[in-house]
Amino acid sequence: MKKMDKKWVLLCSTAIAAVYAAGYYTTETQAADGQPKPYMANFVQSNSPTSTHTDVTSRQTQSRYKDGTYTGMGMNRRGSIEVQVTIKNDQITDVEISDFAMHYSERDVVGLPEEVLQNQSPQVQNVSGATYSTEAFQDAVQEALNQAQNA
Amino acid sequence: MNAPKWLKTPKGYVTISIAAFLFIASIGSITLMGIVNSLIAIVAAFVTDSIYCALKNRKSSKDSTVITGLIISLVLSFTTPWYMVAGTAVMAILSKHLFVYKKKPIFNPAAFGLLLSIFLFHPGQSWWGAFGDLPWWMIGFLLIGGYLVTERVNKFPQVFAYLGTFFLLLLLLGLLEIGGAADALRPPFINAALFFSFFMLTDPPTSPAKYQNQVVFGIVSAIAGIIVYAIFGGLTYLFIGLMIGNIYSYWKKLSTSKAAERRQMRSKTSRRVISG
Repeated sequence: MKKMDKKWVLLCSTAIAAVYAAGYYTTETQAADGQPKPYMANFVQSNSPTSTHTDVTSRQTQSRYKDGTYTGMGMNRRGSIEVQVTIKNDQITDVEISDFAMHYSERDVVGLPEEVLQNQSPQVQNVSGATYSTEAFQDAVQEALNQAQNA
Repeated sequence: MNAPKWLKTPKGYVTISIAAFLFIASIGSITLMGIVNSLIAIVAAFVTDSIYCALKNRKSSKDSTVITGLIISLVLSFTTPWYMVAGTAVMAILSKHLFVYKKKPIFNPAAFGLLLSIFLFHPGQSWWGAFGDLPWWMIGFLLIGGYLVTERVNKFPQVFAYLGTFFLLLLLLGLLEIGGAADALRPPFINAALFFSFFMLTDPPTSPAKYQNQVVFGIVSAIAGIIVYAIFGGLTYLFIGLMIGNIYSYWKKLSTSKAAERRQMRSKTSRRVISG
């Protein structure tokens, strides 16, 4: 069969690129709404997983958490997870996933809140095949704990 | 067939392109885990294919088995456990042999295995081999490899119909603020859509050859995929869209074949009448 003319290939490619660009700019606001807020971005950058763990543990001994329920959000290119962490007497007493907006199944991370309660730390074992959801969950818990420290 | 000749075949083009992606993505991600996973996928696919072909006394296509294994390893995250990678490759190869029409697979094997693996293993597909976690300009590599392969397999109408419909529907979703159109138009999802349209949608045995049918195939696959995305989100939309397109292609082959049979019957009957 005769192949498509190169002029048509160029023309169709340009038309498709134009439609893509229109879609991209139309959804710019929606994409910006889903971006991490400045304080969250700073937070992620300034805390490596190990240093975060040490930081939380040392603060626990200094009784720095204020009792209450705090909301944290973790996000990456694959979506976001929002959690509610309850603190009482410097202990994490409850962790709930209040919003799951990842492009993966929520079932992958359903056991992670229990793990946080057991470890008393946002550091959880990576779930096989759910790395991005695990990372977003850890960031969300860490963000909630950060708020509890600053409250 | 000698190596230089093989390199010029459609399968040669696809193999070289996706092997180059594997190499580039491994360097970009600074890991060898993806290469390890690709070896696991290829070995699992080979073993399954060899056993099935030996049992059923069928001819095995080694290069398409390698392509299936490579695609699977580029879509699954490089942190995916080995048994999930192997399981996905096994399901892909089995689908190639079990769902056939005139000795050709009905469904794209890699897409079928990857779709099933989402439900069975929850493997966390990252499309890392499409440079989903790397800088945006690396999409240029996808476009270069994609255009070369699409030109070689003569599937431009199909790819253009698919991408045109896909982006147009996402633009509409964006205007109506339905679903996650913003996500689908940005990395890593845009990388996934491009890789998918250039290397999976264009699979010659599971898609039509005639330009007119290619256009319908592309439009059907895109509409089905976007409907799934708008309703469910997630990562199954590309594969489900392709499955629907594959069914259209199968139906088209079936109806063409039946029409040819009817024509043959009619000409035989008329010949008998004339001779009688």
